[in-house]
Amino acid sequence: MPEIRVTPLGAGQDVGRSCILVSIAGKNVMLDCGMHMGFNDDRRFPDFSYITRSGRLTDFLDCVIISHFHLDHCGALPYFSEMVGYDGPIYMTHPTQAICPILLEDYRKIAVDKKGEANFFTSQMIKDCMKKVVAVHLHQTVQVDDELEIKAYYAGHVLGAAMFQIKVGSESVVYTGDYNMTPDRHLGAAWIDRCRPNLLITESTYATTIRDSKRCRERDFLKKVHEAVERGGKVLIPVFALGRAQELCILLETFWERMNLKAPIYFSTGLTEKANHYYKLFITWTNQKIRKTFVQRNMFEFKHIKAFDRAFADNPGPMVVFATPGMLHAGQSLQIFRKWAGNEKNMVIMPGYCVQGTVGHKILSGQRKLEMEGRQVLEVKMQVEYMSFSAHADAKGIMQLVGQVEPEGVLLVHGEAKKMEFLKQKIEQELRVSCYMPANGETVTLPTSPSIPVGISLGLLKREMAQGLLPDAKKPRLLHGTLIMKDSNFRLVSSEQALKELGLAEHQLRFTCRVHLHDPRKEQETALRVYSHLKRWAPRSFWLGLGRSGARGGSHCASRQRPQGPLRAAPSRWVRDCGVHPHPGCCPLRGPRHQGAAGVLDLPG
Amino acid sequence: MESAEDWLVESLRLYQDFHAFDLSGATRVLEWIGDKGVFVAGYESLKKNEILHLILPLRLSVKENQGLCPERDFKVCHGGFSDASVFELKHVPDTRLLVTTGLPGSYLHVWQVAEDSDVIQAVSTIAVPDKEGGFWPRVAIFSSMAPGVLHGVRLRSLKVVDLESQKTTYTSGVSDSEELSSLQVLAADTFAFCCSSGRLGLVDIRQKWAPSETISPGAGAAGGRWCAEVGGWGPGPSIASLGSNGQLCLLDPRDLSHPVSSVQCSVSAPSPDPELLRVTWAPGLDNCLAISGFDGTVQVYDATSWDGVGSQVEPLFTHRGHIFLEDNQTDTAPLVTTHTWHPHKPRTLLSAASDASLHVWDWVDLRTAH
Repeated sequence: MPEIRVTPLGAGQDVGRSCILVSIAGKNVMLDCGMHMGFNDDRRFPDFSYITRSGRLTDFLDCVIISHFHLDHCGALPYFSEMVGYDGPIYMTHPTQAICPILLEDYRKIAVDKKGEANFFTSQMIKDCMKKVVAVHLHQTVQVDDELEIKAYYAGHVLGAAMFQIKVGSESVVYTGDYNMTPDRHLGAAWIDRCRPNLLITESTYATTIRDSKRCRERDFLKKVHEAVERGGKVLIPVFALGRAQELCILLETFWERMNLKAPIYFSTGLTEKANHYYKLFITWTNQKIRKTFVQRNMFEFKHIKAFDRAFADNPGPMVVFATPGMLHAGQSLQIFRKWAGNEKNMVIMPGYCVQGTVGHKILSGQRKLEMEGRQVLEVKMQVEYMSFSAHADAKGIMQLVGQVEPEGVLLVHGEAKKMEFLKQKIEQELRVSCYMPANGETVTLPTSPSIPVGISLGLLKREMAQGLLPDAKKPRLLHGTLIMKDSNFRLVSSEQALKELGLAEHQLRFTCRVHLHDPRKEQETALRVYSHLKRWAPRSFWLGLGRSGARGGSHCASRQRPQGPLRAAPSRWVRDCGVHPHPGCCPLRGPRHQGAAGVLDLPG
Repeated sequence: MESAEDWLVESLRLYQDFHAFDLSGATRVLEWIGDKGVFVAGYESLKKNEILHLILPLRLSVKENQGLCPERDFKVCHGGFSDASVFELKHVPDTRLLVTTGLPGSYLHVWQVAEDSDVIQAVSTIAVPDKEGGFWPRVAIFSSMAPGVLHGVRLRSLKVVDLESQKTTYTSGVSDSEELSSLQVLAADTFAFCCSSGRLGLVDIRQKWAPSETISPGAGAAGGRWCAEVGGWGPGPSIASLGSNGQLCLLDPRDLSHPVSSVQCSVSAPSPDPELLRVTWAPGLDNCLAISGFDGTVQVYDATSWDGVGSQVEPLFTHRGHIFLEDNQTDTAPLVTTHTWHPHKPRTLLSAASDASLHVWDWVDLRTAH
């Protein structure tokens, strides 16, 4: 039976290292290649030994697919392709292709420069890895090879994030990656058509979470900024060049306008350039609102938000500054942080996860004394706020998506099946789909019944109809014919037609067998009994036409008319022909020239 | 949604903290388990309902460094399925057991929250003697070495059943057919009852039925439907009784025959669904009460200087979130189905509405704010 096999890779059950192996009709695909941000050693990488056991990765895997640029989905990619060794194609969307290497390089710099790690992937490795990338467009069917095709769908969540459909013939799997079902200020909601895959693969944490509304998160952000500014403090918001920064700017701009606030808001120039550049490239990935605004004016021509100059950091009075990089590990945001950290009226708002080793990570862990270069100690008196704006789906969102996609089954990764019985029941009952929950390293096998379309000849259909019984949708009908397979075309025709098409003659094979009967009764009586017995067994006939002539069976064949009464004269030999049939009890009888199963009755005398 | 935006901006001033969630089904139940978890349950009549054990967002549970905690989401810790609708759910203290009641009202259901999985399993049922269509028994738990379930539809059917043995350990023994609207266990041997007429009583189960109670008819004598809550641990009025006409009475348990005060709340009366009326005492604030069940709001009142009868009072605070943040543009405005105070954060409440919204909010006392 053809099957689909799914194995989440890596040790540990934590969310934070996405890497899933899917085998579909003999094709092997790796979904995401993420890093676990909580570990410093090998535990941060997925366990590739599972695949390398089968030989070279390049031979084993048909392709790798990366859903979006977050490090917990692509952080292990250079390690995987350059240090473990993979030369096949790596598929991702265009924005992901553009942003991935930047994040990977940032991460590499932090790991090597800040934490002094050896045996980390190098800048060159990142470049070499990215050379293997094949970028895809949304809704574009990409043929990986003759049989395997993939298609990307909009996932929301972050710029360039996609859900992927992987298809081989009539079997398919949809992998969601990270997605969200409610549009936010700069990204739309995930969307996918009713593609009815055999399996939908998604995160189990979504299903057990009930998310606080976007509006309340935004409210919290505004409240914190407002409070700091009201007391004369300065607010630093370290951001990555894309995505979140735009959204927060739009939010502040709207709020400043409504409340008629006067404190200046700045945006560091490096940010503006990069962001504009990227947005021009990827305008189709943002939502309607942004697209309209962008068309009308430059992305960062806000009324209340101005370009930042280093010197402004020393200006008295309240202000808000957006600066890169996002984890406070270098550059302008770190510079500003050092100036402002000592004043408790000031505030720093971290809008996302910070990698270990960065100043961002340290202050989010509660550290208030930081050792900077030259053994200088920086006392952090400013207020530190950690906010999460990442748009993720939740329990309700999953149900919505499954309703849209209509899969046969749902597979949840990063959960513990033993502990999730209620969830499994809920999904199975409410959505009427099977639910699977493999542990890391555990393989789930789904049997599939692919439908194979077969054309059936009109002649064959007509003949079946002529048998008398009308077709009944509820009762399966057994049809006899010949299956002709040519290229990827299947046709069912009658045997005669098949022989005609193949230009072959029909041959009959007869088999005889000698049966010895020991019966105390008289010959005639025995013969009669055997005869009536056999007749009862043989209601219909069929022939299996063979392409080669078969040997003629032992004795010659003869047929007899049905005796009207007891046998007057038992023939010394009494043979009946037989068409080949797999088991007794179904023996053909057609017309007066009956051919039925029997044996040779060698009657003495 | 302009008004929602306006309200959110207003909310910066009105609330310290505010969280809004969408449950998959509306709940009439908000029952605490410890101070970090709550139970919610569906009350649909035609399909299976979910009973969920939710863990509060970490941000609301951490005592210090709240700013460093970005977690704002509820986690579904356990879940179970109920064929019956759940109108009330009580946790049996110091156990992993729950008792639910609702329509149809012929049984109480006992559930167990599993330790090693996420399942809330149905364990047993307790038969209800007074089976009447459309009525459902109120429930309260006597927690002790052998927990007992106090329940009844009417005064005459009040009884305490031992949870484990299912033996009846107490019956009211009266033939009074007044319908009950709430039951509350006060101590190891006493409980309070409130009838829908407003009649209140305190009962000691060690004695034959002889409750200290209000003079009939009910405190308000204005008809309508009443509910009550005993709270406030100090001298002075500690029983609040709320009527569907918007009247709120305060009573002293030492003298139930003479209410201390009776006021008219600023609500649009009568309540569209008096069974949803709820009045609660704030565990962390003196003399503060919250009421809900009239519309899509929850109102907080300070009862400190109330006296006399009939005066109109204004709420200290009104939570309007359920009205302004309503996502589905349905014809009917949402109705708050229940609310509860956080056990130790003094001004934090949870409220749920008929549109399946669940809010957690920490209101600002504008009298003390600058």
